Amino acid sequence: MNKKIGFTCAYTPVPLIEAAGFSPFRIFPDSKAPDQAGHLLHDNLCPHVKKVLDRALADDLPELDGLIFINSCDSMRRLADAWHEAKPDDPIILVDLPSGTNSLSLDFLSKEYERLAKTLFRWNNEPFSIKKIKDKIDNWNLVAASVKKIEKKMSRDYFPGYASGLQQIINTAATESTDKALAMAQKELQPEEPAKAGLAPVFLFGNLLFDPKVFDLFEEWNVHVTASDFCTTSRFITPVDTTADDNIFRALASSYMEQTPCARTMDTAKPGDIAQKIVQRAKKSNARGVIGFTLKFCDPYLARIPMIRQALQKESIPFLMLEGDCTMGSMGQQQTRIEAFTEMLGV
Amino acid sequence: MMYDHFENAVKGITDKLNQDPEGINAKKKYVLELSKLGKKLYSEDETIAWCGVTAPFDLLGAMGITSCFVEFVGAMLSSTQTAGGFFEEAEDSGFATDSCAYHRAVMGAVLKNAMPKPDFIIGTSSPCTAGLAVMENFAHQYKKDFFILNVPQNYTQDAIKYLAAQLEDMTLFVSDHTKRPLSKEKLGIALENFNASSTLLKEIYDLAKTKPSPVDNNLLKDFSTVITLMMGTQQGVDICQAFKNELNHRIETGQHTSSKEKTRLMWIQNRIQYPFPINEMLDDLGAKIVVDELNDVTWEPMDPDNPFESIAKRMISIPFSMDTTERIKHIQTLAGEYRIDGAINPCHWGCRQGTGTRGLISKGFKDINVPVLNLEIDCVDSRNLARGQIETRVEAFLEMLS
Ligand code: SF4
Ligand code: SF4
Repeated sequence: MNKKIGFTCAYTPVPLIEAAGFSPFRIFPDSKAPDQAGHLLHDNLCPHVKKVLDRALADDLPELDGLIFINSCDSMRRLADAWHEAKPDDPIILVDLPSGTNSLSLDFLSKEYERLAKTLFRWNNEPFSIKKIKDKIDNWNLVAASVKKIEKKMSRDYFPGYASGLQQIINTAATESTDKALAMAQKELQPEEPAKAGLAPVFLFGNLLFDPKVFDLFEEWNVHVTASDFCTTSRFITPVDTTADDNIFRALASSYMEQTPCARTMDTAKPGDIAQKIVQRAKKSNARGVIGFTLKFCDPYLARIPMIRQALQKESIPFLMLEGDCTMGSMGQQQTRIEAFTEMLGV
Repeated sequence: MMYDHFENAVKGITDKLNQDPEGINAKKKYVLELSKLGKKLYSEDETIAWCGVTAPFDLLGAMGITSCFVEFVGAMLSSTQTAGGFFEEAEDSGFATDSCAYHRAVMGAVLKNAMPKPDFIIGTSSPCTAGLAVMENFAHQYKKDFFILNVPQNYTQDAIKYLAAQLEDMTLFVSDHTKRPLSKEKLGIALENFNASSTLLKEIYDLAKTKPSPVDNNLLKDFSTVITLMMGTQQGVDICQAFKNELNHRIETGQHTSSKEKTRLMWIQNRIQYPFPINEMLDDLGAKIVVDELNDVTWEPMDPDNPFESIAKRMISIPFSMDTTERIKHIQTLAGEYRIDGAINPCHWGCRQGTGTRGLISKGFKDINVPVLNLEIDCVDSRNLARGQIETRVEAFLEMLS
C-alpha cells in the first residue's frame, strides 16, 4: 500500500502527490472524535478546521507521511500552526497562496508548487521527475473530463443517485487515487434508472459538502442537484491546462488560481465576481433556484453572501442560504427549509 | 456629519493646545493629527484610498494619496459609541453577526453612505482574510478599482521579491489614477521621515520598558498600529518626538514612580475600543499595561535606494504576517524585555486570525512562566458585553498575580 500524504484544501494539486509516489488523503471533517480543537485554536473557527484538528488530536487518521497545508484563509493558517503543536513529528509543508490573480501571483504560486513538488519527492526519497508529474496530470485531467461530462448530464436531466455517485468518485480522487476515481467514473456511473421529472432543479454552492449521503438526502427532499460548487465537489477536480505554459508549475498555478473560484481568491479586475460566476453557473446548469450552504465562521464565504444574494435577486433567481457545521445531523435540521424552498420553486 | 465631527475635534484640541503652548501634550497632538486625517478623508477634496491594515501609508502619502485602513473607522465608530446603527445595517444586509466587528461597523457605514467614497482600494492579505474580503466588498460597492498586496507569510528572498514587485506595480496602479508618477524625491523624504519616526518609536518603547514604567494604561494604546498612518510625514516625526518627550518628562519629574505598578501587564493584539473602564479598573488594582503586543519596531531602516524591498521586508516582519511560531517568539521576547508579570488576551470575538492562536499563545506564555488571562470579548461591538463577568475575571486574575 502506498504511503499517504494528508491535505485539507482544494488548492492542493493531487498529481504532485501521486507523482512523488504517495497516495492523496484529503482529511475530511467527518469524525466522531471529541471536540477538543477549540482549546488549541478557538471555538469560533470554522468547524472544518476544528474537526480536522480533532481527528489529529484523537489519532483518528491513517498513518500519514506528511501534511500539506495551504495558506488559503486565516483558519487554515491557524490549523497549520496548531498541527505543529498537536503532531510535532509530522513533516509539514505550508504553501503560500496569493489572494489575487495576476502574473506576479502566478509566478509566485508556480514557485510554491515547485517547492511543494520537490519537497514531496524528497520526503519519499524519489528522484525529482517532471515526466512523472506530467503523466499524473494527464491522468487527473481524464478524471476532470469525466466529471465535467457527468455534470453536464446532471444539468440536463435528473437521474436518481447520480449526484451522490459523482461525489463518491470525487472523494475517491481525494482520498485514494486518481486511477481508481477514473475507473469509477468510466464504469460505475452509467445511470441505471431512466431520467425522472418532478424534482426542483437547484444549483448548490458553498465551502464544504462532501458526504455522498447528503446528496441522497437532497433528492429525498425534492432537490435535483443540477451542479454544485464546493471546495469538495467538482471544483476540487480542477483540470490542468498543460498548454497554458511550458513551465508545468506555472500551468498548474494558472489552472488552480483561475479555475478554482473559491471565495478566498479574487479577480481584482472584477471585484465581487464570485456572485456573477454563481449566477452564470446556476443558469448554465438550468437550475431554477440556488442553495448556498456555508459553514459557520467561514469569513471568505460569509463576507460574500450579501453580494451573491444581490446578484441572484437581480436575476430573479430564488436563493436559500443555509449555515451550519459539516455534520449530517446539521443537515437534518435544514429539511423543512429545503422542502419549503423546492415547493416555492413550483416544479 | 463626520466632517463636522472631525472639524470640531480639530478646533477644540487646537484651542486647548494654544492655551498651553509650552506643554508637551503628546496625546492631544496625536489625536489632533488623527482628527486632521479624518477631516481630510471626509473633505471630498482629496484623492482617497481605503486600505488594508498593513498598506504602505508612507509610499501612498508620497504619491499624494490620503489613505487609511478601514478598521480605523470601525474603531472610531466604536469609541464614539456611534457604531450600533451601522452594525444593524450590516447585519440586516447579511453580514454575519459573528464576523469581526471592525469590519461589520465599516460595512454598515458603507451601506448607510457614511464613509467617504474612495478613488480606489488597496487591500492587504495581512493581517486577515476577513479584512481582504471587506476590501473586495468596498470595491464592489463603490465600483472602484481594486489592488491587492499579497503579503507572503515567510520571510524568504522569493517572498520579499514578490511583495517588492507588487509594491512597484501598486505605484503604477496609483499613478494611473492620479496621472502623476512616483516622485523619487518625495518618496525619499517620506522614507526619511519613516526612519526618523522608527528611531523615535524604538526610543519610546525603550523608555516604556523602564521599571516602573512611565506609561499609563492609555498612553500607548494601539499606538504602533495607528501611528503607521503618519510615520512618513513630518507630523508623524513630531508626534513620536512628543511622546518621547512626554515619557522622559514623566521619568524626570518622578511621575512614573508615583503611579502604582504592582503588576506589569502585556496586552495582546488590539485594545477594547468602546468606553469600558478596564483601564481605570486596572489602575485601581495597581496593574499597568506596560506593553501592547504590536508596539514594536520589527523592521530595519528603509533604504531609499531600495524602497520597495525595504517596505516589503517591513510588511512581512509584522508578527501577524508570519506564522504563529514567529508571533510567539516575538511575544516572549517582549515579555522578557518589559519584565511583565502577566498578560491579557482579549480574544476579540470574530477575529479568526488572532483568536485562532489562543491556545498556542497561552502555551507560549506558559513556557516562560507568565500567566495569561484569556477573555472572550468583542473589542468593538459592546452590545453583548458581559461586563460583570469580565470585571470579575480580571479581578481574580490580578489577585492571583499579586
Ligand atoms: S475557506 Fe472557510 S470553510 Fe474553508 S477552511 Fe477557510 S474558513 Fe474554513
Ligand atoms: S481584529 Fe482580527 S479580523 Fe478584525 S481586523 Fe484585526 S486582524 Fe482582522
